[in-house]
Amino acid sequence: MATRERLAAVPPLPPHARRSLVTQYLIVAGILGLTILCLLTLNLPSWERVSRGLANNVVRVLQSFVNPHLETAPLAMSAMAETFFMAVIGTTIGAILAFPVSFLAAANLMGGTLPSAPGKTLLVAIRTFPEIVLAVIFVVAAGPGPTAGIMAMGIHSIGFLGKIFADVIESIDPGPSEAIRATGGTPLHVFFYSVVPQVLPEFASTALYRFEINLRAATVLGLVGAGGIGLPLIQRIQFRRWEQVSMILIVIVVVIIVVDAVSARIRRRLV
Amino acid sequence: MALPEANRTAQRFRMLATVAIFVALLWVSAWQTEFAFEDLWTGANDFFAFFLNLAPDWRALDEIWAPLVETLQIAYLGTVFGTLLAAPLIFLASFNTAPNAPVMWTARGILTLIRSIPDLLYAAILAPILAIGPLPGVVALTIFTMAVLAKLASETVEAVDPGPLEALRATGAGRNRVIVYAVLPQIGATMTSYVLYVFEINVRASTVLGFVGAGGVGQLLNVYMSRFDYGGLAVLIIVIFAVVLLIDAASVYLRSRLL
Repeated sequence: MATRERLAAVPPLPPHARRSLVTQYLIVAGILGLTILCLLTLNLPSWERVSRGLANNVVRVLQSFVNPHLETAPLAMSAMAETFFMAVIGTTIGAILAFPVSFLAAANLMGGTLPSAPGKTLLVAIRTFPEIVLAVIFVVAAGPGPTAGIMAMGIHSIGFLGKIFADVIESIDPGPSEAIRATGGTPLHVFFYSVVPQVLPEFASTALYRFEINLRAATVLGLVGAGGIGLPLIQRIQFRRWEQVSMILIVIVVVIIVVDAVSARIRRRLV
Repeated sequence: MALPEANRTAQRFRMLATVAIFVALLWVSAWQTEFAFEDLWTGANDFFAFFLNLAPDWRALDEIWAPLVETLQIAYLGTVFGTLLAAPLIFLASFNTAPNAPVMWTARGILTLIRSIPDLLYAAILAPILAIGPLPGVVALTIFTMAVLAKLASETVEAVDPGPLEALRATGAGRNRVIVYAVLPQIGATMTSYVLYVFEINVRASTVLGFVGAGGVGQLLNVYMSRFDYGGLAVLIIVIFAVVLLIDAASVYLRSRLL
């Protein structure tokens, strides 16, 4: 009786869902098989090594996280301030450079998907390079320091910002542009009095969002010598000064959460 | 219709104040980081000079192949395990499926906390603890995937049509039944798309994890830089570029078919 009730409570599957059930099982089996294959072929450390590592460190790490090294705080804060400033400049550069590229990548301004293709391809190419790889190149080409990190962030941000900017431009209301054209306005008039006012709030909001991403990225750029809080952090990790690591991490987490909250508030007011 | 005069002045003032604050912030930033805007020009020149002088030494490919496979394995495992761990968290962090408010806020708080630390930092911290190699990479990506996916997906869960949920609740269905029969069918495609998206992010991340000793091709970045082997570095950069581009294209294609 109970079983029948339970069965009745479940509606029968529609025919197309029943057919795809086999496909679904196949996909799940494929994922599972690939997972097992990866686990078997991956060069994983022996269980003894892992358990020894855990036994030696976990208690110490956890203890240090409730007991951060307070004397490290000033250093952590000044390094985080540098990180913050790097993200400010990097995002600004990215936004300024993304601006012209996004117009080249917007189909409605270029008059079709084909003329906008080179711009779109350029943006994809820029996005593909991981930030850290760009930072490595700048460190090699121009020497270590925050400038390398700023340049890496600036260049990498063009890819993301340009894409979103282009999407925003493509979704503008054509009405105002037509109205200006109808009154005899030139393309320049259309650009400044219709396109720019319509896209500016969205652009600003996107740039702020990118700033949140860049701030996170900037915390690790120091790992390759490109400035910011990453360098003092990785040094302390390598020497296992967990109390100092925990102090630096606390500063990073607090700053990022506060910046995210402030930025989210501003973004809500913008759009 | 023109705005009233007072309103327009206020608006103009606010605009000017925003610009002034921004310029001041930019100036302080440039001063504090010793960044000169000419650096943009010289930096770009150095960058292109570096690229033009790069002569890829294709012999490096033999050395790159094995770590490259490892990179993809790390990204894949991190995505699979992260997704499995995210699955229960998604429903704890969404207001329409969470058992109660305290559980929801705790789940959200933990997710925010985890997301505020970049994946590369998890890897850097885990590498000395879990032994240098792919394991810290997999664990780092698992943690990060879990938090990012749970956040993205819980936004989708919160946006589902409440009708089917109410209908099921009205028949006396429990929380799990509601999730399985009312929420999952609505979010399936979006979820799959998010998983693919996070996999893209993980492939990018996994190419650099080796920099901190967490496995994959990233360790070669370190090796080539310290050896000043720019021919090898060039090949490595080209390979990373090609792999990321390929995975992105495949993922975008799959996602476009899903939605």
